[in-house]
Amino acid sequence: MNTKPSIEMRAIHKIYPDGTVALRGVDFHLHPGEIVGLLGENGAGKTTLMKILSGLLRPTRGEIHVNGQPMHFRNPSDALQSGIGMVHQAFALVPPYTGLQNILLGQEAAGPLSLLQLEAAQKKVTALVGETGLMVPLDVPIELLPIGVQQRVEIVKTLYRGTSILILDEPTSALTPLEIPELFQFLKRLKESGKSIVFITHKLKEVLEISDRIVVLRNGEVMGEIPTAQATPEKLAEMMVGRAVVPRVGRAAKPVGDPVLTVHNLQVMSDTGTLAVKALSFEVRAGEIFGVAGVEGNGQSELVQALTGLRPLKSGEVALDHTGLEHPNPIEFYQQGICHIPEDKARFGLALNFDVAENSILSRQWEPDFLSGLDRLNWDNILAFARQLVDRFNVVTPGIRTVVRSLSGGNQQKLLVGRELSKQPRLVIAVHPTRGLDIASTVYIRELLVKMRDEGKGVLLISADLDEILELGDRIAVMYEGTFIGMGKADELSREEIGLMMGGIAPKGRTYANAQ
Amino acid sequence: MPTPNDQMPKQPSAISHQPSAIGHLPSAVRLPRLLPPALIESLVTILIGLVAGGLLMLPFGYNPLKAYQALFQGAFGSSTDIMETLAFATPLMLTAITFAVGVRAGLFNIGAEGQMYLGAVGAAFIAGALRLPPGLHGAAATVFAMLCGALWSVVPALLKVWRGVHEVISTIMFNWIAFNLSIYLAIYYLAEPGRAERTRPALETARYPILTEGTTLTAVILVAIAFCVAVYLYLWGTRAGYELRLVGENPEAARYAGVRAGNALLLSFLIGGLAAGLAGASQIIGRPPAWSLYATLGNVVTLGFDGLGVALVGRNHPIGGVFAAILFGALAHGGRYMEYHAGVISELVRAINGLIVLTLAVPEIWAMARRRLRR
Amino acid sequence: MKPPITDERRTTKDERHLRRSSVVLRRWSLVGLIVIAIAIFVYGLEQFGLQSVGLLEAGLLAMTPLALAAIGECVNEKAGVVNIGLEGILLISAVTGVWVAELFGNGSMGLLGGALIVALVGAVLGLVSVYGKADQIIAGMGLNIFALGFVPFLLMSLWAFPGIHIFPSELMVPRLTTPLGQLSPVTVGAVVLAVLAHVLLHNTVLGFRIEAVGEKPEAVDVAGVRVDLLRLFTSILGGALCGLGGAFMPLGWFGGVVKEISAGRGFIALACVVFAGLEPLLALAAAFIFGFTEGFAYAVAVTPGVKERIPFYFVNMLPYVTTLVVVALVIGQRRFPRTIGRPYARE
Repeated sequence: MNTKPSIEMRAIHKIYPDGTVALRGVDFHLHPGEIVGLLGENGAGKTTLMKILSGLLRPTRGEIHVNGQPMHFRNPSDALQSGIGMVHQAFALVPPYTGLQNILLGQEAAGPLSLLQLEAAQKKVTALVGETGLMVPLDVPIELLPIGVQQRVEIVKTLYRGTSILILDEPTSALTPLEIPELFQFLKRLKESGKSIVFITHKLKEVLEISDRIVVLRNGEVMGEIPTAQATPEKLAEMMVGRAVVPRVGRAAKPVGDPVLTVHNLQVMSDTGTLAVKALSFEVRAGEIFGVAGVEGNGQSELVQALTGLRPLKSGEVALDHTGLEHPNPIEFYQQGICHIPEDKARFGLALNFDVAENSILSRQWEPDFLSGLDRLNWDNILAFARQLVDRFNVVTPGIRTVVRSLSGGNQQKLLVGRELSKQPRLVIAVHPTRGLDIASTVYIRELLVKMRDEGKGVLLISADLDEILELGDRIAVMYEGTFIGMGKADELSREEIGLMMGGIAPKGRTYANAQ
Repeated sequence: MPTPNDQMPKQPSAISHQPSAIGHLPSAVRLPRLLPPALIESLVTILIGLVAGGLLMLPFGYNPLKAYQALFQGAFGSSTDIMETLAFATPLMLTAITFAVGVRAGLFNIGAEGQMYLGAVGAAFIAGALRLPPGLHGAAATVFAMLCGALWSVVPALLKVWRGVHEVISTIMFNWIAFNLSIYLAIYYLAEPGRAERTRPALETARYPILTEGTTLTAVILVAIAFCVAVYLYLWGTRAGYELRLVGENPEAARYAGVRAGNALLLSFLIGGLAAGLAGASQIIGRPPAWSLYATLGNVVTLGFDGLGVALVGRNHPIGGVFAAILFGALAHGGRYMEYHAGVISELVRAINGLIVLTLAVPEIWAMARRRLRR
Repeated sequence: MKPPITDERRTTKDERHLRRSSVVLRRWSLVGLIVIAIAIFVYGLEQFGLQSVGLLEAGLLAMTPLALAAIGECVNEKAGVVNIGLEGILLISAVTGVWVAELFGNGSMGLLGGALIVALVGAVLGLVSVYGKADQIIAGMGLNIFALGFVPFLLMSLWAFPGIHIFPSELMVPRLTTPLGQLSPVTVGAVVLAVLAHVLLHNTVLGFRIEAVGEKPEAVDVAGVRVDLLRLFTSILGGALCGLGGAFMPLGWFGGVVKEISAGRGFIALACVVFAGLEPLLALAAAFIFGFTEGFAYAVAVTPGVKERIPFYFVNMLPYVTTLVVVALVIGQRRFPRTIGRPYARE
């Protein structure tokens, strides 16, 4: 690239108020008209770096130069002045506002006490939308739009502010496989019009496809920079994680047993009163991992809640070893041998301000082992159990009376998974069990799930991470709009087929029939 | 209070999930380990409150140093004063329980005031109007007062559980209803003949024995401390207590654990009501020289609200509350000396109490202090 | 989590949006019904010798502080800030209002002064909430407790008389004579302010941003608008309006201050806000209903033939009971800003 860089970040350090060191002297530059892929694992510092560039965070040390001029961004509007805009992973859109209102927020072009006149600006916005070629409805409240469309609103909103440098944070994570190429085409058009783009991701395939140059971050430092033409997935992966990528776990050797969980014609309502699970029937057998793939929000949460006693069934039957379960009472479900690794550990599975011992009996506090007369807690047993849990599942903690909040995410999850798996369950329900974890914990927890399967338990694995499903699942179903749009044995389904199904396109020839 | 709790039950409660004075230190539970930082924070907060209170005195020409000297001399100057301080602390440790047990269950229960009025009325009724053998009489008055307090907490509790009415609004309304009801009962049914300004004094048989002659400290403080210890053992030593705290700490995890939140909330309200009722009784059958309830409720008003600051300084822990109550009791007792010797009206102590609560609400103060210390 | 769109889902969600406006409609019809009920009730009372004009006057007077406090709080909560210290603000402004009035020898100056002084209190609470990331409920309660002690202290320090102060009657803000009876100009002001607050929230750029900041402060921040300043502004505005209501109580209504002059009105105002679902005009209506109950209580308390039969203390409970009943009936139907009561932090 022979042009001068439009952006130069030099020796950026960032230490968060709680003491976390996010960036340790990162250099980054960006030329006009190029797409740079910013690659790294969770917690590598990619988002922090770009939040600093877009003025949302201030660096602890380091300089930012825009077109050779040193800049000190105090807030996002300063960065916008320099033409830098960021599309965040969690979109910064006001849910009840329409697309037009969201695009114009902060750009009303009138004093605060003057009357709001959105209609006047509508033409300008419509023209911009036409230029981009994106389909963006302007008069529908954002909360009614699917996430891919919300992303387009967010992009138009950023462009409306006259950005020449567009930062996208994990833009594909919320998209169906069908929407991704569409986004990529748009980004290429944008590049041709002379804008530069930073594309934050942890997905190798995408960064190889879209970028001109790749910068890899690890643990707050730049591990390398490479023109995309010279990059290979292996090389990038090594830079990103520092060692070989996750090993594959072996398939079940033993034949599967009888059904542990039988679901027949299940219907479940969502909180908003819509039908979230529609006439679903399936089985999970002893000694298999039944993986459910799908974009989040297609009824997976409601399904799991219905299977764990947290949500009433509207109709249909759920049976565990042919014992029907219907009352929405989690303890009854646990007593029947279901254990539940919930989707968001901090929200459902742990009380972060309780200590390790107290968390080790969460959802087991009714078990007679942990109680003595008059429903008093039997602390001797509880402490002994917590100690055993910490040892068996390699939970790294200063002590069992340490507040769980101070443990790392991986150790919190190990504590939670250990607690659940030690319930001697017949059926394990695991939802996004490795989300947000480091590689070592991820491998460990996946191995635990496989071990449960090999011990002859049924495992229902629900994950938005397609790789996880493909790696672990013996049978795989894809959930779309409350039903299984397709189901089959793991080796019969290709990644592409599953991708299509996640986007709502049912495979020809394959039906909803139970593939056993 | 129109916080989102009423409408969106799935939203985390404002109290239990923010990095607030309450939220970030709930494990002040195991006293020995957490005492140092928590104690320092509490003491610094009180110091900030006192300094701000001193600043309030300046524009009106009072001398803060002189006032505080009088206050501390009054509070701790002699053994009699220390006893008196403890007497002032007795109701405060109990009304602090009402608020603290609420917070532990994720509630902002500020109904101690009204529940305490009813407790006082109940105690005045049994102690002044019934004839029972000594010992039994006191016990009956105490228990009845506690039941009255608990009864007064039932409606706000049910409104919360059934209708989602926020407890700040319902308990405050109930406080005012209790205020009018108690005055009515005191004047129309319980008044001492010929002395309408107060209820019939408790009979000798119902009174708690005075611990040291010449002070107003009675054995009721032992009952109060025993109650605080019992609440502590209940919350940290039983399944129900564990579940109550779990509901306050993380309502969704509680659901996941199969806990019925409604039961835990009800329980929290009832324990709070019992504590407030006992606080009311302590002022009738455990506090000379009146041994009765003034028709203006003058000898009990605001003791319930004072408990809020006590609970916060005591980290919403029943035992921490006992120590915090002694501090606040010292302020209350010393405040009378301050009024006498420095001319500063004793109510200023309550303003200081409010400033302490305000300071405790701001977690950033501690975050900033910690950052400074680290450097 | 957003479900992918389907036609079925969209209709139901659209219905929810429709339902939201129908809730407002239903709320208004409820108000209408209550007003009709009150009218019939008043007619009945007149047969017993109660003066309906007097009743309306008393009701409007009692409405005024509630309405002012509630209107300000509506705007404040729209921006996502909760102030449960209204009670304390009413108390402090009642005393400071009288003090300023005596200083200038003018009741209207007192109203203004009271409002301005407690606008500072609102600012402090705003600072504590916005920059201190305080737990707003605890902070507000701290303010209430502070006022409980500070007001007697002020009464004593300013006028050397405990608990009560009566000021010369010429300091009272004069009332206007209208067909509805003797009205205070502050009452008229409250009505005008409710309309202005409605316009502010629904038709101005500022209101557009205030609503956005309550729903999604991140969006406002990223759009380059200062979240902190918006919330600080609404806190100060809320404080000032509440202060006007507080100063009105002695200067336009009672003719004196006592240390418990607010008598729970700050919390009743909060109930008005709940009832109104943050709509200033509905808050005004709610304040009228609660105010009327209070006026009715006064009227009963002084009416010969009635006051002997119903003890004064029971009549006194009426506003509180009404508040409870109304809140219990309407709760759970409105929607509040998503981030209400939560401080905003970028990290």
